[in-house]
Amino acid sequence: MNILRDGLAVAAATAFLAVAGSGPAAAADCTIKLGVVLPVSGPMGLVGERIADTGQFAVDVFNDAGGVKGCKVEYMLRDTQGQSTVGVDAAKSLVDIEGVSVLVGAISSGVSLPILTSVAVPSKVTQISCCSSSTSFTALAEEGKTEGYWFRTYATNRSQSAMGALLTADKGYQKTAVIYVNTDFGVGLAKQFEQDLPKLGGTITKMVAYNEEQQSYRAEVTSALEGDPDSLFLVAFPVDGATITREWLSLGGTPNLVVNNSLRSADYLEAVGSKHLADLVGYDSAQPRTDSVATFNTMFEARFNGPPDGPGLHSMFDAVTVTLLAMESAEEISGTSIRDNIRKVTASGGEPVHPGPEGIAKARELLAAGKAIRYVGATGPLQFDENGDVQAPKLTWRFEGDRNVEMDYYSTEDVADLIMKLDN
Amino acid sequence: MIGIVSYLVFFFVIALILGVAVLGLNLQWGFTGLFNAGVAGFMAVGGYATAILIGPSREAVAGGFELPFVVGLAGGMVAAGAAAAVVGVATLRLREEYLAVATFGIAISIQLVALNWEYLTGGTLGLIGLPNPAARFAEGPLARNVLYLGIVVAAAGLAYAGLGRIVQSPWGRTLKAIREDETVAASLGKNPVRIRLEAFILGSAIMGLAGGLYVGFIGYVSPFDFKPILTFQIWTMLIVGGSANNRGALLGAVLVWAIWTTSGFIISKVVPPDMMAQSGALQAVLIGLVLVAMLLFRPRGLIGEEEHVSRHVRP
Repeated sequence: MNILRDGLAVAAATAFLAVAGSGPAAAADCTIKLGVVLPVSGPMGLVGERIADTGQFAVDVFNDAGGVKGCKVEYMLRDTQGQSTVGVDAAKSLVDIEGVSVLVGAISSGVSLPILTSVAVPSKVTQISCCSSSTSFTALAEEGKTEGYWFRTYATNRSQSAMGALLTADKGYQKTAVIYVNTDFGVGLAKQFEQDLPKLGGTITKMVAYNEEQQSYRAEVTSALEGDPDSLFLVAFPVDGATITREWLSLGGTPNLVVNNSLRSADYLEAVGSKHLADLVGYDSAQPRTDSVATFNTMFEARFNGPPDGPGLHSMFDAVTVTLLAMESAEEISGTSIRDNIRKVTASGGEPVHPGPEGIAKARELLAAGKAIRYVGATGPLQFDENGDVQAPKLTWRFEGDRNVEMDYYSTEDVADLIMKLDN
Repeated sequence: MIGIVSYLVFFFVIALILGVAVLGLNLQWGFTGLFNAGVAGFMAVGGYATAILIGPSREAVAGGFELPFVVGLAGGMVAAGAAAAVVGVATLRLREEYLAVATFGIAISIQLVALNWEYLTGGTLGLIGLPNPAARFAEGPLARNVLYLGIVVAAAGLAYAGLGRIVQSPWGRTLKAIREDETVAASLGKNPVRIRLEAFILGSAIMGLAGGLYVGFIGYVSPFDFKPILTFQIWTMLIVGGSANNRGALLGAVLVWAIWTTSGFIISKVVPPDMMAQSGALQAVLIGLVLVAMLLFRPRGLIGEEEHVSRHVRP
C-alpha cells in the first residue's frame, strides 16, 4: 500500500512539475505526517466520523494547494474508541513509531486530557483539539502544566459570565442578586460571575443556587431578595426559569433582569408574559460574521453535498488548517516550533488569510516573503489566549412584544478583549 | 528504533496495570467462582482514593494530602477493599448471574457518584495535576516511563507471587472447594459465606491497586476512565489467558491489550487514507474475530488451570 501510494505521489509530482514547469517546488515526494486521534467507533463514533472526514478535507485542501513546505501532508487517523486507555496508546504510537510532532484530538475531555498529560506534554508534542470543553484544561494551563502545548479551537464557556457582568454593569445596576441552577454549568458560571462583576463596578448582594424541577422556588427567591437588590442575574433553563421569574416578580423583586442564553426562548417568554419582561436583557452565542465562514460553508457543501451542520466540524477544520499553516511557517517541523507558530499565524496584526486554496496560496506567498499572517477560518478569527483557549462572538438581546430582538453584536476580538480586561 | 522501545515501554505499563486487575478478577472468578461484573467500579474507587491521597490541594475539592505514591496505592487498595466489603455483605448471597447483575449495577453507581460528588471527585472535571512518582527521579519521557514500568512490574510481581502463595495455601484450596461444590465445603466445616467475602475483598483490593497505578501514570482521573467497557476488557483478558491460572491472567492481559492496540496500527497501514474515518467498525470486527478464534481453539484459555494446587500432592 505504501509503495503504491508513494509511487502515485512521485508520479503526481512528476506530472505536476512537467505541467507547472518553473512553478514552486510543490507536492514533491516527501511527506509530513499529521497525527489525529478521534473516536470513530463506539458511542461517539458517528459524531467522530464526520469530524474525522472534515479533518481529512482540510488536509486535502492544503495538499491541493501544494502541501506543507512542498511536501504532501499525510493524515494519520487513529481511533480512540472513546476510551482513555486506547486513546493514550494510539497517541503514543503516533508519536513514537510514526514520529508525528503534532496531535489533533480528541473529542471527549476525558480522553484528550490523559493524552495531553501522559503523551503530548512529556514528548513536547503540540496537541490541538476541536471539541474538548472541560475547564480542567484551562486550570492545568494556568498551573503551567501544559507548557503551552495545548490548544483548542472550541470556544470555552468563560465568556458567559463576562457577558453577564458586562450587561449588568452597562445597565448601571449597583446591587445584583444571583440565582443559578445547581449543575456544573450553573455553578461554574455563577462563581465566575461573582468574580467578574465587581471588576466592572457592580456588587453582589446574594448568591442562591436552586435545584431543578421543583414546583416552587419561593424559599430561594425570598433568600435572594435579602439586601434589597436593584437587579437579578438569573442562570436558568426555561421551565424552572419561568417559575423563578414569576415568583420573583410577585414577591416584589425588581423587573431589572439579566439572563443567560438558555432563556432566549419562546417557552420562557410565554410562561412569564412579555409585559413583565420589558426590562430583561440577555446574552447568547452568535455566528461569526466574516466572509471566511461562508467560504468554508460553500467549500464544505461542494465536497460533502450537505451543509456543515454537525458538532465540531468548523472547529475541526480550523484545528487542522491552523496546524498546517503553523508547520508551513515554522523553520523546522517539531512540536515546540509548531506550538510557537500556531500563535504566530493567528496573532492579530497579521495579514488575514481565509480557508480554501486561494487563502493557502496567499498565506504561503506572504510567509515566503517574511510577512505576518493571521488565519481567519471557519469559526472566524482564532485568538488563542495564553491557556490555548479561544473565544466565540456573542450577542445581546431583549424581548420586544412576542419575539426577541438582537441589541448588539460582540465580535471574537471584543469578547477576548473583555475577558483579558477581567482576568488581569 | 528508540521510538519503538519507547512505545513498547508505554505499552507494557498499561498492559501490566490491566494485568494487575486481571489477577484480582482471577482470584474472584478463577479460583472462587464469583462473577464480578463491576471490575471498573472497584478500579475507580482505588483510582480516586489514590488520586485524593497523592494529589495537590485544590480549592473546593477534598484531599490535597500530597502523600507518597506508595501510601496512595495502599490507600487505594484499602478503599477498594472496604467498598467490596460493603458490597459483598449485601450481595454475596446472590449466585452467578444475580451477582453479576448486582455488581454491574454497583459499578455504574460508583461511576455516577464519581460524576456527581464534586467535593470528593471533582465531578466531570476530574482531578488534575497528580504528580508522577517517577518524575522526581528521572528526566525525559522515556526514562520516566521506564522507571514507572519498574514500579508496575514490582506491583504486578508482588500481586502475582502473593496470590500464587495464597491459592496454594489451605485457604486457597478452600476457595476451589467452594467454587466446585459449596455444600461439600460446608459439610467439612468451612464457612463458605465468610471465605467468599474474603476472596471478594482481596480481589477487589487488587483491582483498586490497578486503578491507583493507572491514575498515577496518567496524572489525571475522571469518571470517563472507568467505563463498563473496561470491565469487559478485563474479563476478556482473563478468559483468553486462562481462568484460575495467574500466569495465564498476566499473559492474557498483555496479549489482549496487544490485539486491541495493534489492530488500530494495522488498520492505519492497510486502509486507504480517505477511508480511515470509516475504519473504526473494522477495528472492532478485527478484535472480535481474533478473540472468538482464540476461544474456539483454546476454550480453556492459553494456559488453563493446573490440576494440583498443593505442592504436597504433586505427582
